[in-house]
Amino acid sequence: MNRYFFYLVFVNMVANVVASVPKILISHRTEGAIVSMIISFFLGLVFCYLCTRFFNLFPGKGLPDLTKKYLPRWLSFTMIFVTSFTWYIAGLITLVTFSFLLKRFLTPDMPLTWITATFLAFLSYGILMKSKSVLFTIETVLLFCLPFIFVITLKAYTAPELKLDFIKESLMYINHYPSFPAVAASIYLLLGGFNLVIFNRLFKREQRINWKNMLFIGFIGGGTFVTTFFIPIGMLGFDAVEHVVYPWITTSDTLRLEFFIVERVLYIFLLLYLAISFLSVLIHWHVTLELLKSILWFKKMTLYKHNLTPYLFIVLFWLGGLKSVTNLTEYQLIQFSSYFLNYLLCSFAVMFGLFWMIKRRAKV
Amino acid sequence: MSLIKNNKGNIRKTLDWLSEEIKPSFDLVYKPLHIDDKHAELLYIKTVVDGAQLQQLVIKPFFELGNDRHVEAYLNSLPNLQDIEAKEQILLELTKGSVIVAIRNQLLLLDLKRVKSDSVLETMIEPTIQGPQLSLSEDIATNINLIRQRYHKPSLKVETMDIGEKTHLTLAILYDEEVVLNEVLDSIKNKLKSIKPQTVQSTMELNRLLNDKKRSLMPIMMMTERTDRVVYNLAGGKVILLLDGSHTTVLAPAVFFDFMSSMDDKYGSYWITKFLKLLRYFGLFACLILPGLYVAATSYNPEVFRVELALSVAGSRIGVPYPSFIEVLFLLVFMELLTEASIRLPKAVTGTATTVGGLILGQAATEAALASNIMIIIVGAVAISTFVIPINEMSFAIRVVRFILLAFSSFAGLAGLLFGLIGLLMYLAQLDSFGEPYFKIYLQSKRTETERTST
Repeated sequence: MNRYFFYLVFVNMVANVVASVPKILISHRTEGAIVSMIISFFLGLVFCYLCTRFFNLFPGKGLPDLTKKYLPRWLSFTMIFVTSFTWYIAGLITLVTFSFLLKRFLTPDMPLTWITATFLAFLSYGILMKSKSVLFTIETVLLFCLPFIFVITLKAYTAPELKLDFIKESLMYINHYPSFPAVAASIYLLLGGFNLVIFNRLFKREQRINWKNMLFIGFIGGGTFVTTFFIPIGMLGFDAVEHVVYPWITTSDTLRLEFFIVERVLYIFLLLYLAISFLSVLIHWHVTLELLKSILWFKKMTLYKHNLTPYLFIVLFWLGGLKSVTNLTEYQLIQFSSYFLNYLLCSFAVMFGLFWMIKRRAKV
Repeated sequence: MSLIKNNKGNIRKTLDWLSEEIKPSFDLVYKPLHIDDKHAELLYIKTVVDGAQLQQLVIKPFFELGNDRHVEAYLNSLPNLQDIEAKEQILLELTKGSVIVAIRNQLLLLDLKRVKSDSVLETMIEPTIQGPQLSLSEDIATNINLIRQRYHKPSLKVETMDIGEKTHLTLAILYDEEVVLNEVLDSIKNKLKSIKPQTVQSTMELNRLLNDKKRSLMPIMMMTERTDRVVYNLAGGKVILLLDGSHTTVLAPAVFFDFMSSMDDKYGSYWITKFLKLLRYFGLFACLILPGLYVAATSYNPEVFRVELALSVAGSRIGVPYPSFIEVLFLLVFMELLTEASIRLPKAVTGTATTVGGLILGQAATEAALASNIMIIIVGAVAISTFVIPINEMSFAIRVVRFILLAFSSFAGLAGLLFGLIGLLMYLAQLDSFGEPYFKIYLQSKRTETERTST
């Protein structure tokens, strides 16, 4: 597969921290979180594989191009609209969560709307770019960040504060039945491949995902699962971890780089995740925008030869973002994120139904 | 062949028209040559024609050869002979330094230019330690000669065209037919044909003329005066534009990383050049983020760095009356003024400017408590690291970007700085140079990366 495909997958894996995934998993740690994780690991890999195989059949075509060609108009419109809405919410959750994070940890003096507005201003520029440029941006930022993330993870694993006892304690709950919210939350890690709904337009060359690619994704994904769940428990304690709002942020604050320019890992972590969550929202909202553009295009809305339709969507994005930042509380946010993740898992049944229909009608 | 093959009257008319067009100029020469039954007429502009060559190639043989058929045959066999297409073209060629010879009911146009600017200059803009020390000249023929001397390959093509509605300078397009990207070549040619500037004086003007965007910050073509860089890029498949009268060339398409490379990177040993490159990128980063980082670290997040650093910054800022961003802006602007002054001043005064500006201003600013000591260090570091960027145009662009990043970090602290950097990255990523992406990371082999079919 094209290397840009892996970036799409990895951004979701790394960005799970700001999508409340660890928090939801940890709250289910006595209710079968581990089994849920194992289930969603395999389920997620299967989803990723099926989705990629489906899009490999249609090189250079995005989902809207396919639905337009093979499905009736009303179905195509509804499906794309619902999909775009899903992607919008996925981006919105990351955006709101990270705005809260910034407010709490990095810039407490700044008003929340101001923080979000900064975020949104840069996002608006980013999502209006060509898909190709989005991929170039993702690649560069990710390649900058991955070494730091690797070092921090390594540091976390080797820290003396990591108590194996707590991890062992959590392993004792392995014999519990899995819970649906935990499965739904953890599968989020492996869903990055679904961004192909738009980005497949760029992968024009014939290619096929093979078992080596899947092994690679599985290996990294497995590592992420383990790290995301066990490190906060080992660091903060099996019981105490429940009382923390952002488990991973607090975990990173337990680490110190004694001889580095920045001593507290928290700040490196925050800046890294600022970049990563920016990428995550950038991808999701770029997909949203492109999906919306494919179904709603007002030909008459022009000013000096520029069509204003994308800008209209951007205004809606801004309104949605600012409204939810000001109205939500942190508790509600986590709750809504959990609801959304549950919905996401269910919606993939519909998504695969759609894939199947397209495949049958296209006869490939 | 070079003929307006008409009767005597027609030739007379053409010659009259030509002299009428050029007439009030003092340097127009009309010279009939006549001996025995041989007869010829010369018309040329004295100041642009090489007199010695004219004497050697035209006048002397005229008197030595037997009859005017011999002279005509001789003139027709000269390599300097140019094709005649129209009266207007003759006129244009005359202004460039050609000579019109009328002999035996025929008009011949001979190229006998005199060029005074063909001496090869030393490299001034991009000096290197190793590598050739001479750059190009200001004459296009000499430049093509210099490049051909370094690139012996029949697939090297040189196409010429006229540019400038008024100046009609010669523009040469050089490329290696085997490796050049054809889409790029076509798009450059089309753009060159579509632009109609009044005058073009330097190759760098082309950079702006060929850019689709009216307002741009980053250069999308690369200017160079080094022949080794030209040859290296020719072999890499780029298109080279040469303009008569300009001792620099422009290369297209250019990507961001081209502007960060020096030709010395080719000549040094592996680890040394890797180290130098690392240093250069570190310099780029330092000069971009240091001013913003200072503002963010003093006004927004003093807790990010070590406590000792926070204290010493706060300590050295005692007595500074303004918030940190004004302090930074104040010193940065003066540093920019200093850089600008030392470029534009005559060489003899530059020393004074830098001494007064750099030493005295910096010293006095801290003593008057207008800026902290640490700020002076940062401004110094920023100034030095800007000069590390090897290509001038890029370092100018970076100087502008720095202020934008400073503004962002004044608005939103560290988060603003990081957003600004990502914003810069996005700006670079969405640019393209003649269809080639301007900023992307090259991980795989060059062929796979430049192929249009995949991303």
